[in-house]
Amino acid sequence: MTAPVTTQAGQSVAVSKRRWFEFNKPITPASAIWLALSAWVAFFGLWEFAVLMEVTNAVLLPGPVTVLTSFVELFTEKNYLADIGMSLYRVLASFTLACLLAVPLGILMGTFRSVEAFFNPLVSAFRYLPAPSFIPLLLMWLGAGESQKLALLFLGVVWFLITLIMDYAKSLPADYINTALTLGGNRRQVLWTVVVPAMLPNVLIAMRQMLAVSWTYLVIAEIVAADSGIGAMMMRAKRFVHIDEIMAGIVTIGLLGLLFDILLRAAQRLLFPYLETKE
Amino acid sequence: MIADNPQQKSHSKLLLEQVSKEYPISGGDRLLAVSDVSFDVIENEVCVLLGPSGCGKSTILHMMAGLNDPTAGRLTLDGREIHGPSRDRGMVFQGYTSFPWLTVEQNVEYGMRLNKVPPAERRQRVDFFIDRVNLTRFRKAYPKQLSGGMKQRVAIARMLANAPEISLMDEPFGALDAETRWHMQELLLDIIDDSQMTVVMVTHDIPEALFLADRIVFLSSHPGRIKEILTMDFKQGRRITNKEELIETPGYIEIEREILHMMREEASDEE
Repeated sequence: MTAPVTTQAGQSVAVSKRRWFEFNKPITPASAIWLALSAWVAFFGLWEFAVLMEVTNAVLLPGPVTVLTSFVELFTEKNYLADIGMSLYRVLASFTLACLLAVPLGILMGTFRSVEAFFNPLVSAFRYLPAPSFIPLLLMWLGAGESQKLALLFLGVVWFLITLIMDYAKSLPADYINTALTLGGNRRQVLWTVVVPAMLPNVLIAMRQMLAVSWTYLVIAEIVAADSGIGAMMMRAKRFVHIDEIMAGIVTIGLLGLLFDILLRAAQRLLFPYLETKE
Repeated sequence: MIADNPQQKSHSKLLLEQVSKEYPISGGDRLLAVSDVSFDVIENEVCVLLGPSGCGKSTILHMMAGLNDPTAGRLTLDGREIHGPSRDRGMVFQGYTSFPWLTVEQNVEYGMRLNKVPPAERRQRVDFFIDRVNLTRFRKAYPKQLSGGMKQRVAIARMLANAPEISLMDEPFGALDAETRWHMQELLLDIIDDSQMTVVMVTHDIPEALFLADRIVFLSSHPGRIKEILTMDFKQGRRITNKEELIETPGYIEIEREILHMMREEASDEE
């Protein structure tokens, strides 16, 4: 930077007192959008620039435009929608199964110390076993079919989901429960009319956190042994050195993750309107 | 602003006999929180438990609610021994306990739903108590939309709508700012006075205790035991529901000074 620029910046600071680096100060929505956009522009710019400069072999590093083109080709010529559908099915089916176990168990473990004392040593231990280490076992037990993939995805998220939900249940204010007890509620009533409704928003948050992890295991499952799904498409593309298609696959997973995050956020607003209203 | 004290017949409602409470602490030791406390709460009186922190006043209130069992001694309500919480003994907590997923009216209705009160009676009591705590305009609002004072009014209405035999209040205004607290005290005293409630309230705020109490049980700390039971003789058997008037009443300053002195004694024992 040259001297005149510094002077200019110095003057503008004196006038508006606006600086880029302020501790905990909000920025205007307009500048937030500009900053977000420029990060993306910089990312694609650098990427395209690297391709143009031939930093590496063009086959190994296709540009953004090439990736976009292969995206369209995947849909129109290679039945990509079926692969996406398969991956979605695997994530959603296994995640539903995991939730069916983890939500009630986590709530009970966080509510009753006896249930926690029984299950927690087991759950904590399983949490430290990396799910991919079960792949050889699952392949032998269940073969290379769908159940093996669902089992891997299930194992990848279920222990963490239980622990997260248990921790949320434990941090519910004790006086919510005490209030219901002093109003004459029995244990069943307190569980269903206080613990469960108080937990629902937290359950959704835990699901949002763990769904992202589920996508990670999906890719592992589909790379190991699958003939359909986004991961399988990427492995096929690798065989034919279609780097652009591999990249399109990564982008697809990113976009789907983002989409689910947006959907779950919207569900949160829709299902729990009482959390949104601030004084 | 002067109401008759409805404390005509001195029927003892709640009785504590040689109540002690020990807690296990780390290293296998036991902490004596409450030691050999005996007193009674008279029907239709406001009994305030006052004392420095660590005097076990909150522990005593939790034992009255049945949320905590005594290690020794017994507590009885109308002669029946207290075992576990029940709708006889309603409680308002210091923290905000209005359920965030229910509206104001659903919160007030909640206890009656648990107890299967018929819908028509439920509606009637909801209307009455929401009006009594001046929240009619906010009956469809969720707790997040309410101020701290309003949330405590919801909690009070919810307890009262459930028609308990005795109302236990654990520093209900402790989290409120001074001005709100003052308004809440006047409102509460009004409600107590016209609905013939028996109340046990825990506080460490001396003016609050003097304003609301018919009797003050002063507790000393470590372990919690009764230091003195003070009758509010200066009120001459009336309830004064206006703060300025209370302060101007002869005898107020003297008893406030006496309590401050006891508080200071307790504090110097700590050293």
